[in-house]
Amino acid sequence: MKLGKFILKRILQTIPLLVIVSIISFFIIRLSPVDPLAELRLNPSISQETLAKEKARLGLDKPIIVQYGLWAKSFVKGDLGITSNGEKVSVKLIERIPNTLILTLIVIFMTWSVGVPLGILGAIYNKTKLDRILTILSSVGMAIPSFFFAILLLIFAVKTGWFPVGGLTSYDFNDMNFLGKFFDIAHHLVLPVTVLFTLSLAGLQRQMRANMLDVLDSDYIKFARAKGLSENKIIFKHALRNAINPMITLLGFEFAGLLSGAALTEYVFQYPGLGRLILEAVMKSDINLVMASLMIGSIMLVLGNLLADILLLITDPRVRG
Amino acid sequence: MNRAFRIILTIIIILLALWLCIRVDNGGGKYILNTSCLKPNPNAVDIDLNYPVPQNVTINGIDFLQSQLPLGKFGGEFVTSTIGEGPKTFNPFVSTDATSSAMADVMYDGLFTSNPMTGEVIPKLAKSLKIHGNRYIITLRKGVTWSDGKPITADDVMFTWKDIIFAGLGNTSTRDAMLIDGELPTIKKINDYTVEFAIKRQFAPFLRMLSAPIAPKHYFTKDKKWKENFDRFLATNTDPKTIVSSGAYRLKEYVPAQRVVFVKNPKYYMINKNNERLPYISKLVYLIVGDINNQILKFEAKELDEISLKGGDVARYKAKENKSDYVIYNLGADNGTMFIAINLNNRKNKDSGKYFVSPVKQRWFQDVNFRKAIDYAIDRKSMVQNIANGMATPLYTAESPNGIFFNEKIKGHNRDLNKAFSLLKQSGFVYKSGKLYDKSGNRVEIDLSTNAGNTEREALGVMIKQDLADIGIQVNFKPVEFNSLVNKITNSFDWDMIILGLTGSPLEPHNGKNVWNSKGPLHLFNQRTQFDIKNNNIYPYSWESKIDEIFDKASLSIDFKARKKYYDEYQQIIYNQAPIVYLYSPIRIYAIRCKIKNIYPSTLSGLTYNIEELYIDGGKE
Repeated sequence: MKLGKFILKRILQTIPLLVIVSIISFFIIRLSPVDPLAELRLNPSISQETLAKEKARLGLDKPIIVQYGLWAKSFVKGDLGITSNGEKVSVKLIERIPNTLILTLIVIFMTWSVGVPLGILGAIYNKTKLDRILTILSSVGMAIPSFFFAILLLIFAVKTGWFPVGGLTSYDFNDMNFLGKFFDIAHHLVLPVTVLFTLSLAGLQRQMRANMLDVLDSDYIKFARAKGLSENKIIFKHALRNAINPMITLLGFEFAGLLSGAALTEYVFQYPGLGRLILEAVMKSDINLVMASLMIGSIMLVLGNLLADILLLITDPRVRG
Repeated sequence: MNRAFRIILTIIIILLALWLCIRVDNGGGKYILNTSCLKPNPNAVDIDLNYPVPQNVTINGIDFLQSQLPLGKFGGEFVTSTIGEGPKTFNPFVSTDATSSAMADVMYDGLFTSNPMTGEVIPKLAKSLKIHGNRYIITLRKGVTWSDGKPITADDVMFTWKDIIFAGLGNTSTRDAMLIDGELPTIKKINDYTVEFAIKRQFAPFLRMLSAPIAPKHYFTKDKKWKENFDRFLATNTDPKTIVSSGAYRLKEYVPAQRVVFVKNPKYYMINKNNERLPYISKLVYLIVGDINNQILKFEAKELDEISLKGGDVARYKAKENKSDYVIYNLGADNGTMFIAINLNNRKNKDSGKYFVSPVKQRWFQDVNFRKAIDYAIDRKSMVQNIANGMATPLYTAESPNGIFFNEKIKGHNRDLNKAFSLLKQSGFVYKSGKLYDKSGNRVEIDLSTNAGNTEREALGVMIKQDLADIGIQVNFKPVEFNSLVNKITNSFDWDMIILGLTGSPLEPHNGKNVWNSKGPLHLFNQRTQFDIKNNNIYPYSWESKIDEIFDKASLSIDFKARKKYYDEYQQIIYNQAPIVYLYSPIRIYAIRCKIKNIYPSTLSGLTYNIEELYIDGGKE
């Protein structure tokens, strides 16, 4: 009951936030000097009539406030409008979302299943050789800029021919059987996943290690040790439970990044995901598409935080109080 | 001691790794010399003018088009690429961008096409053409069908021209260009395989415009509200299986941001000398790549069969050519022209009452000696060397050098500062201690602009600034955002000089009318407002009216020689008056795998215009 009220309250708080986000984004995009028709204007074979027709179709002949009103009205009704090419925005997004989700979900799953245990190991074997090696590796991981690492890997792929250069599927993808399709996608995913994995693994491992060290240093762990509990019990029953709380908040943020977190890597690898679509949309001021993606981003962030808070409510009795 | 040893060991390991990388990068001498790739004369422009044009042949009542090229092998696939977002529509009548138009061209044939070598209009979907004065009688091929087996008839042609193009559906550029004295041509069906176009008076560009694709009526009108939904028809999410087309290939799949795949149209009307239906290559793949760098990586990884090379890459590819499996073709100058436009506007803004260009600057810009002095002070050769990496040819005329109407008599000139100074002196400019002053003692100072982010044009701006500093002109070079630049050119007219590039048409100078006609919407150097044009406040310079006249007259004549004379004259006027100072035209260089045969490179149409006739040696059956 209490939980339901909490969720309802949070959702209600979201509405004004979304309105403000949408107003700011809409006006910033429209006031920027990007003219979606500039290319056409300088094309000698495009007539004035065609230009005027395009202008009316994109709604550019109306004042910005009216444009915003029209957009907001259809957004509330659940209609995301059409892109500047005349395709439905929702169709475009649905085309790309699964591709991005495959990539980000694999990366999140891998980083969490590798990063958390490594963090714990680093804390337990604090200041030993193992910890030092892990620290060096995570420093290297954090230090490499993602786009640079991506380019290095692409060159690696070109030189060795072991991996495809970008993309998600080969051109004969549709003629393959199920197993072939599976391996084709896996083959294409290796490099982008490597980049994103290296990058986020380092941060996660360090975070987990620091949390764990804090907890291991606390009085109740000393007490538990003094009581003569086995080391396993101390770490997994007492220390880990307390160290994992800050990570849940982090998971909330990861949720927000599910759809937009990999944009740069997507671009370098020519990955047909949401990030590349949105980047291209921003460049030519395709307002409905950009607005839709910004709104999705905001909603995901709010949802992620909500999810983290709910999980915290469940795991941490202190918050419930 | 121990520590020092470890450090040295690490350094040695790193150096070893680096050495290995470099060795691998150089190929390590592992490549096999591919003799089929060797070319006799690697430095010549690779244009072979002996392309035999396909001929009409009638077999069992079907009017085929027969390829005259050597027989090839069937099968295999050709993978090429397109930069950017990929096609926006597959509807040839709606597309406004190059990629969509290229895709539509693959799927839909026009009545006519251009001879890739001479630019002559030759039949494609049409069988033949007879011209009686102002009447054009077109005979269609009998027995030729759409990809769904329905025959292609006069009804389809009527539908395309009357109900789509002349009715103003989609992109109206073709219709607008066909207006002759404000009137559209008329079209009449004579029988199932003959149509007749009639125009009011001779209009030279007309015939070439008949190359527009023909739409299948039964497919386009399946939907009752097809007119209302025309812009959305054949959108990129159309199910490929349902699409009815006429081209050598039909769409198999479109995967957004990844690729467009075409497969052979088994009903295509072109045959080889053994009377087997073409095309040879069974699959045509366009990979959609985001930028040039990715394209190069994909070519090197052998994922692409063909690539257009830019700048510095050419030298690198050339050096490796002999050890590789590709051939490099130099197609000569392309349709692009890079130029500086000078603002000759002498009118006032009717809202603010002020001149668009300040009166002091107007006196300079409207002085032909001043403009010619700029022309002479500019060092085109070093621009070509330093900015285009040698991959361009200096340009002095308004038509690009590959065009069939290019005026060869304009030889141009080298940089000549003495000539520039003497021209300036004639107009009373004074050069004092490195600075140029006009008759009234004003220091000559000009703003130069271009679109920011275009590194080529930005580099040009810097060179022009230096070149003009040598004759004492102070140039303030300010690149601005592309949209602001377009606004300056089309709306506010508050600029002095602008570096721009436009793509011309090598076959039809009349398409440049928007730029050259004094009322044209892209008459850069002396743009009138819509208001002025409506109220006929044109007041052209005498040479501007002369160019208007030449364009009108040249469009009236259909004799190539007569037209050439007119267009030669217009190029000469532009050269003499220099309202636009041309800099250079880029050269197109392509690398293509040598397993692809039957290539007849053309400076007008590129490398793969005869995709039906290309075949792959050693391709899969």
